[in-house]
Amino acid sequence: MSEVQVRGLTVEYQTSAGWLPAVAGASLDLRAGEITGLVGESGSGKSTLALSLLNAVPAPGRIAAGSIEVAGVGDVVRLTGRQLRKVRGGELGYVFQASQNSLNPLKTIGKQLLDLGRSHEVSDLRALIARAKDLANRMGLDGDRVLDSYQHELSGGMRQRVGIVFALVLNAKVLILDEPTTALDMLSQASVLDIVRKVHDENQLSTLIITHDIGAISEIADRLAVMYGGRIVEDGPLLDVLRRPTHPYTKALIGATARITGDVDAARPLPGRPPDLTTVARVGCVFRERCPFAVAACADTEPPLEAWEAGRRRACHVEPSTVLAGQPGTPAAVGEPA
Amino acid sequence: MIEARGITRTYQTHGQFTGTRTVHALRGVDFTLPEGGAVSFIGESGCGKTTLGKILTGLETFDGGELVVDGVELSALKPRQRAKYFRRIQMIHQDPYSALNPTRTIEATLGDPLRMRAREKGGTGAGPGAWRERACELLTLVGLEPEAVLPKYPHQLSGGQRQRVVIARALTVDPQVLIADEAVSMIDVSMRLGILGLLRDLRSRLGISLVFITHDVATARYVGDGGELHVIYRGEVVERGLTDDVILSPVHPYTQCLLSAVPIMRGLEEPGPDRTAPTRALDERTDTPGCLFEPRCPFATDECFTTHPTLVPLGGDGAGVGAGEAEGVGAAEHQHACLNPAARRVVGVEVGAGAAGP
Repeated sequence: MSEVQVRGLTVEYQTSAGWLPAVAGASLDLRAGEITGLVGESGSGKSTLALSLLNAVPAPGRIAAGSIEVAGVGDVVRLTGRQLRKVRGGELGYVFQASQNSLNPLKTIGKQLLDLGRSHEVSDLRALIARAKDLANRMGLDGDRVLDSYQHELSGGMRQRVGIVFALVLNAKVLILDEPTTALDMLSQASVLDIVRKVHDENQLSTLIITHDIGAISEIADRLAVMYGGRIVEDGPLLDVLRRPTHPYTKALIGATARITGDVDAARPLPGRPPDLTTVARVGCVFRERCPFAVAACADTEPPLEAWEAGRRRACHVEPSTVLAGQPGTPAAVGEPA
Repeated sequence: MIEARGITRTYQTHGQFTGTRTVHALRGVDFTLPEGGAVSFIGESGCGKTTLGKILTGLETFDGGELVVDGVELSALKPRQRAKYFRRIQMIHQDPYSALNPTRTIEATLGDPLRMRAREKGGTGAGPGAWRERACELLTLVGLEPEAVLPKYPHQLSGGQRQRVVIARALTVDPQVLIADEAVSMIDVSMRLGILGLLRDLRSRLGISLVFITHDVATARYVGDGGELHVIYRGEVVERGLTDDVILSPVHPYTQCLLSAVPIMRGLEEPGPDRTAPTRALDERTDTPGCLFEPRCPFATDECFTTHPTLVPLGGDGAGVGAGEAEGVGAAEHQHACLNPAARRVVGVEVGAGAAGP
């Protein structure tokens, strides 16, 4: 049962070199009751993908192809005007990157909440306030105090929680969090992740968390999708992907994470630098320049994202067993180091 | 190289209606940084770790204690005389996106301090173009290609590359100490190890000492051997020792909370059985005569409320853990400031560690 189905989504930005794809042919399912983690480096197109779920790609970008079916709403790509505004913040709750900075500094949280209610034509604003207080209390905030506060009176972790209250107060079924823990210290990060898991379970949501930190996401997600150069290169159940990464990029990403256990010398930084809109390969596999397993076919054919095992998909020419067994040897690093 | 003895820093704030309030940013921090050594400070936001970094680079003054650089006590010197000592200590800032001037190319950014440095050193064969050679040398050292990077503006580089330029800029004045204040927290996880590896490399190749300030305990493991770890809470060091000792066998509840908060790579690691969390959020205004962490401590007793603990060697009061380390071997002895220290297994454990290796 998928709450959200993204199919063949391509998002382009206009640049001096023409329209370039930031997301190319991405397909992703958000299943009801599951937390999906979307991991990628900066410039991999993960935030663009998240914004297109709201059909809110900022100019000069556009959704060039594909569909985003949300259960009970239809294809978000085709919605316009009033209908689209109702869905944003209604069925689709979105917690913005640096939600610390997405609150109005001149209004108390409560006043902003009323604005939200009015713009969505909520008839019973008292009930809305009551629900917001209830949500805030369950997240370990003092609801009354928070609604009377200005954003500067709240700490980073508290603002992040207020962002989640705003996203859920209109009974959203789908919750999208863009980098929810960046800029928080370890203790606040742990408590925000805890709270996301809790509200997700209590409200039976479909949650998408976007992050560059594979460690933070592995703490709470059920499924993992890995994005590179605008493509989803691997996805599957989180535990399985972490234990058996079959895309060279996923494997390298896990190996490059600073961890508190394990051998310090076994960790290896990823060679090369992540591609951006203008440097991403137009033909062939987008990861081949940094890939230790690259073969001849990688240079001319782009590998499609295909199921290779029940529940697992990958986009790679090399056999899964080769990647699993392969030692992270010296990669054919091309270009400048990061 | 650097010795800090009981550094304190207090700020006075004057509210419009609330009167004067005193904030203790640092309450007596001491440490010794040997040549080529590494000291890491960890703690949450607002614990005073950034203030400490600023004091060490001379960007902030201290109002108590003594800072000794190369055997010279700095508080006795006039500000102008101090400058030459602080020049040996350079800062790597947290945010590589705002640390570089966006209107200047990398060449201009590196050129000014290099020319200044060349004038200082005098004309030892340094022609007018010598600084450019040195700039190329430094960029190569930090792992960048000089020809590609020099003519660029900061916005044309990735976050990791910018941070490398920031490090190269810090190296232009031939420092003996680098202060890395959250140097990798704004950088993609995939690029962090590269920067940490570079810092470790600078230590071993150039003998540069490192003060590493972070909230992410895991990164402190990657700055090299023999590093010390100091856990700082509300301006006070509550536990210290060799990095691995503190991470593997923490005894202070605050250290244990910090280590519990490190995300577990499920599938590869199991959470530690005794994971714990502070009972409530940090409130700097709480004043307590006893242990500063007492209001948030899950294990606090009545004694903690009244008695302020000071740093004592582990095992000295019979409550120690690892019998092997109880003797306090070497200079970096494992110390803690807790009245009821207890070993708890809070750190994640690798799944099938040792048994089913790849």
